[in-house]
Amino acid sequence: MNLDHLRRLTLHVRRGMGDRPGDRRFPGRPQPAGIELEAHSDYVPGDDLRHLDWNAVGRLDTLLVRRFTAEREVLVHLLLDASASMAVPARDGKLAVARELALSLACVALAANDAVRITVLSGDGAARVSPVLRARGSLGRAAELLAAVVPGGRLGLGAALEAYAREHPRPGLAIVVSDLMMEPADVERGVQAPRARRYEVLLLHVIGAGELDPGRELAGGVLADVETGATHAVALTPAVRACYAELLAAHLGALEALAERNRAVYTRLASDASVHDFLTLELPRRGILRRR
Amino acid sequence: MTFGLANPAGALALAAVGVLVALHLYGRRRRTVPVGNLFLWQQVPSTPLDRRRFRPDLLFALQLALLLALIAGYLRPYRETAVADAERVRLLVVLDASASMQAREAGGTRFELARRRARGLVAQLITGDEVMLVAAAERAHVVLAWTTDHARAQDRLEALEPLDTPTNLAAALALALGELHARPETQVAVLTDLPPEASGVARAELALVDWIQIGQTDDNVAIAGVSVEAPPFRPAHDATATVLVRNYAHAARRVVLEARVGTEVWARRELALGPRASEPVLLVDPPATGEVTLTLAAGDALAVDDRALAYLPASPPLDVLVVSASRDLAAALGAVAGARVRTVPPEGLIDAEPARAAVYDRVVPSGAPRPEPALYLAPPPGNPLCPGVRTVDDAAVIDWDVEHPAVAGLDGLEALTLAHAVQLGTPGWGSPIVLGATSRGGFPLLVAGERDGRRLACLGADPAGSLVASDQVPLLLLVLSTLRWLEETPGDAALAVETGVPALAGPGAADFRGPGLQVAGDPPALLAERTGVYRVGGRVVLANLFDDRESDIGREGGGEWPATARPDAASAAGTVRHELGWWLYLAAAVLLGLEWIAWRREAA
Repeated sequence: MNLDHLRRLTLHVRRGMGDRPGDRRFPGRPQPAGIELEAHSDYVPGDDLRHLDWNAVGRLDTLLVRRFTAEREVLVHLLLDASASMAVPARDGKLAVARELALSLACVALAANDAVRITVLSGDGAARVSPVLRARGSLGRAAELLAAVVPGGRLGLGAALEAYAREHPRPGLAIVVSDLMMEPADVERGVQAPRARRYEVLLLHVIGAGELDPGRELAGGVLADVETGATHAVALTPAVRACYAELLAAHLGALEALAERNRAVYTRLASDASVHDFLTLELPRRGILRRR
Repeated sequence: MTFGLANPAGALALAAVGVLVALHLYGRRRRTVPVGNLFLWQQVPSTPLDRRRFRPDLLFALQLALLLALIAGYLRPYRETAVADAERVRLLVVLDASASMQAREAGGTRFELARRRARGLVAQLITGDEVMLVAAAERAHVVLAWTTDHARAQDRLEALEPLDTPTNLAAALALALGELHARPETQVAVLTDLPPEASGVARAELALVDWIQIGQTDDNVAIAGVSVEAPPFRPAHDATATVLVRNYAHAARRVVLEARVGTEVWARRELALGPRASEPVLLVDPPATGEVTLTLAAGDALAVDDRALAYLPASPPLDVLVVSASRDLAAALGAVAGARVRTVPPEGLIDAEPARAAVYDRVVPSGAPRPEPALYLAPPPGNPLCPGVRTVDDAAVIDWDVEHPAVAGLDGLEALTLAHAVQLGTPGWGSPIVLGATSRGGFPLLVAGERDGRRLACLGADPAGSLVASDQVPLLLLVLSTLRWLEETPGDAALAVETGVPALAGPGAADFRGPGLQVAGDPPALLAERTGVYRVGGRVVLANLFDDRESDIGREGGGEWPATARPDAASAAGTVRHELGWWLYLAAAVLLGLEWIAWRREAA
């Protein structure tokens, strides 16, 4: 991955404005102090007299104060699914793709002076949360943290995101990197929790090539759920493959629909696709990243 | 260019494909595939795995390809391409290695001359030409199979020596002609001292081979036969030997025959033999018993037949204990000169002195057997040792085993008639030697064998009356002959054999290992390739060459008869066979590597 390419990108954040002053400008939310004039408003007692627009008073004989574009720091919450399902099919390497994606987005955010918090949603139920990283030099620390991720256990994404939003009520940009192979209702529950706290939510779906086309991985056998241990005997006949394809399309459609319903952004990356192309082509096309 | 299979029977190995498929199905049925989540799959109807259609994966395809490559290699496929005859030579040399090839000629023995000629033929071959060596003696020996290693062929030729056996060229020629018909580019060269017409092969076949006859001299005087007569129960000096000396040359010869018993000189005779004449020499009054060495001081071309071996067995007087209620039998046996015969009644057996043999007349004593070899005469029916079935009348001898030493040399047994006889059964320890018969059928009359290391014989004849009566003489001779066999110590008698003629070796011979004599088979048979004295299983074996064809070394004409015809075998003519099996094995090795990679990827 060429970091120079990434450093020329920035996350396009519309919501999730935090409290802490920063470089990000949030038009439409004028505030009394700032650099860029955005609007005027009627003077109310208590306003800083230094912000009275004396020219307007002279011409209109009305007390108007200047309002400025809000400039705040954006806290990017990188939430990485590290459940056991991220490790299968092993040939797909979903976790490796998810790691690379998370690290790249952390690089983009830090380069744009955004704060980053990396959270590993483990299957054992305890999320491992990093400190907020602000300096660009923190990228190495983020890389170490992501490299130490070991998949395992069963993860309820909805409950995990609810718990996370509860513990971190300050809004920001939540980027959820997961295989999302679970009931859409559970995913929606997880999206609604941060959205209720004014987070902007970005769902990055890392899907295995073997999940898109199971014929690549198996001809049949007893399928065993690595998280629950449940089994299901399947012979991969053409009829079964067609049935699976329909179910998968319905599932993906449901994920897109829930994202739209909750004003979140959903995008998908197949494990055999290029992460670089995804970052430099697909995400800018979807308006998630843009050139600085 | 044609393709074929050298081992079509290997196609049976294709059954392994079925085994592979079965293993694959079984393994797949047991195969558990981890998936991230089942919530999509659980909406797909579950399928009974046993009823699934066979769906091979990459690993199976590689395994199948590997198996098929191995099986195909085992089938030994080949490609035959036509090659002009002039391009390569296959030389098959048949070298006569029989005794007559030891005859001395000007420039060396016949074998040395033949070998020199064979080496010259091999030296003419160029790189890539193939050569095969076959030695022809009493049978065909493949000295060297087809090879392009000419130096090795020269070494084998140099190490080859002629044997002391007769010639059987037909076997070697059959082998050579078989090669010739299979591969028509083969050139067969036969080097022998025999003319082509003596080979025993059809003239049309002989036209296919290059025949090179070596040797001309007829200068040979040989001991053509030896016969030893040692009367039973007589002193050693009563023995005689008759030696037949034959002059195979077309000129008169004077030779000296010397006979020795052990190291002691028995006789020395000077003989004058006319052209191609024979003279029997009777040797009497031997100084001792034992090995007799006969040598002929002839100075002729062939030495191997100038020496012969014989054996004078010791023949002690008859020493027998007769267990009988009557004295008739003892009286008859006591008539033998020097015989020591004692008679005891059955009840006095326990106190009787030991003898070299015992004769039980109509009685089989119970209790522990005595140590002597025993002859049971007319054993009572129902006894466990000599099971007699019943008594029959008016019996006569109809057949006997002339090879068995108990009746060796007996003629006229067919004159033996018996007013009363016991119809014997065949016990487990013996075998029928003489067969008798009545109007109701045949039965064993004399059974002989060994039990617990002791020789035993049962004779069903009932010697009612005096054995010395003239009409009982055949029976008396049979009894005495059987007693002679019983009294001799097993292994004492030497076995005289002729080289190249197989003979039964007797017990204990299978362990023999040594040059010049081969022992094989069950029961073991021996075949002598060299004359001389051998000790096989505790027994002395004397091997002689008594073969007129080998000793008669004179050859008229001689010369060379080049092949005048080529075999008509268009299907195989002028072809070179390229085995493809190794390429398939190489492909199998590559597939094994690919399979390993696929397996590692799947395991990962």
